[in-house]
Amino acid sequence: MSERSLSRLQLHDLHLAQGGRTVLEHVDGDIKPGAITALIGANGAGKSTLIQAIMGELRPTSGEVVCTVDKARRAWLPQQLALDLTFPMSVEELVMTGSWPSHGALKGYCAAHYRKGRDIMARLGISHLAHRPLGELSGGQRQRALIGRTLMQEAALLLLDEPFANVDSETVDVLIPIFRQMADDGMTLIVVLHDMDHLRRLADEVLMLNGGRGRWLAPSALNHQHHASAQIVPFTIGGRHAGTA
Amino acid sequence: MLALLDAWFLAPFDYGFMRRAVVGGLALSLAAPPLGVFLVLRGMSLIGDAMAHAILPGVALGFLLAGFSLPIMSVGGVLFGLLVALLAGAVSKMGGQREDAAMASFFIISLAAGVMLISIGGSSVDLTHVLFGSILAINSTALLLIASISTLIVIILAIIFRALVVECLDPLFLRGQSRRSGWVHSVFLGLLVLNLTAGFQTLGTLMAVGLMMLPATSARFWSKRLEGLIGIAIVLAMIASTGGLLLSFHLDIPSGPSIILLAGVGYLLSALFGRYHSLAAKLRRKTTPLALE
Repeated sequence: MSERSLSRLQLHDLHLAQGGRTVLEHVDGDIKPGAITALIGANGAGKSTLIQAIMGELRPTSGEVVCTVDKARRAWLPQQLALDLTFPMSVEELVMTGSWPSHGALKGYCAAHYRKGRDIMARLGISHLAHRPLGELSGGQRQRALIGRTLMQEAALLLLDEPFANVDSETVDVLIPIFRQMADDGMTLIVVLHDMDHLRRLADEVLMLNGGRGRWLAPSALNHQHHASAQIVPFTIGGRHAGTA
Repeated sequence: MLALLDAWFLAPFDYGFMRRAVVGGLALSLAAPPLGVFLVLRGMSLIGDAMAHAILPGVALGFLLAGFSLPIMSVGGVLFGLLVALLAGAVSKMGGQREDAAMASFFIISLAAGVMLISIGGSSVDLTHVLFGSILAINSTALLLIASISTLIVIILAIIFRALVVECLDPLFLRGQSRRSGWVHSVFLGLLVLNLTAGFQTLGTLMAVGLMMLPATSARFWSKRLEGLIGIAIVLAMIASTGGLLLSFHLDIPSGPSIILLAGVGYLLSALFGRYHSLAAKLRRKTTPLALE
């Protein structure tokens, strides 16, 4: 019970509906800080719906999401980005907008903040793109720039909806250790994943959504299932990547 | 030669009304183009037009109440413009209609109402004056008003600049960051109304939007950076407003259309010869790969 009070994000008997249709029922959970929680399930199982509820964009029909993280320290990278790529902004400027929680709308950026931004870009391997407009980036480069913004934001809770979709393998290899480092720094990460390989490399905890219910699995159990019964895994991992899983 | 330059560029400013008009034009040229740049970037280019019509009934009511008094007409315009912006926002929230659809409905109603009000209370000269503006009517009070409004717009824009940029780029991010994110859009619409109200004296309600949009759309052909877009748009607006006034003076043509047409020429030239996305740039790009092969 004492551990429970430590976690920053809890789901209590959560019921969620989208457009009048119930998507999820009786979802319970305690999302551990400093760990990467993978969210898996077939297309339409309610992964994005659950993320919306956690971000406070969707009100549960019953139950509750208890999140003690300040709203400004929650970061969400949805699959369908609202990002306007025609807007004339460079990678560095995008990363710098992540300093909103500390700087707000008015405070000027000081040299130390620019240095921090440059360090983050170096970590992500995008220093050479600092002055490149967003519209000229590849999917992987854009994803790294957005992760750069969350690092700048010093987010305590990061929700990633399929961060590796349309992203090159080099970016995946850069991002996975960064996500791991973020978790080691005490951040709470929830990642929607489809790919078995990514799941194996990232997940500490697995929440599987299936048939409107949530089920917590140990990643090892998932591996076990993967070997033991071939029928569960394609169903779990679902849709597009069923073949590769 | 010098005499000709003097006659064309300096002599007109011996007249007080020309001096006031050019200062007013320059003040507007500082405030309007940045707003236009943001409108273009947000894909809301036509909203400026809609708002320009929306202020008309307010201007007309001011005219009916107090005659041709710029401050009162301006207050009327600002109030009515804000009212229409609010109503359009409310209707789009309520009915799920997009904001531009609601805006389009309201602006045409406003235009009809405004023309009706002015026709009832005044002559066709007054109507022409409100619709198309006149530099002759800029007195010191009007100039002070234009300059104050322009200053206010530039200051407020500087304050909301970062929020506006972030909202344009990624509204979802701003919503996560700030509970007051909805304000940014409202304040921006408010600035738009203020600017159009300041502009209608020189350019008329229908054309005030031109000094906002044309320099902004032209600048897109010259720069890919936000600062560049804003800077170029301001310079273009200054050239157009000063040049337009001079043309209007020498050729005895109406000031509003001269200014806007000059800005229009700037737009066409930019579309033909600009650095990016222009016809010339497209031709240049076509030849490069061939040369490489």
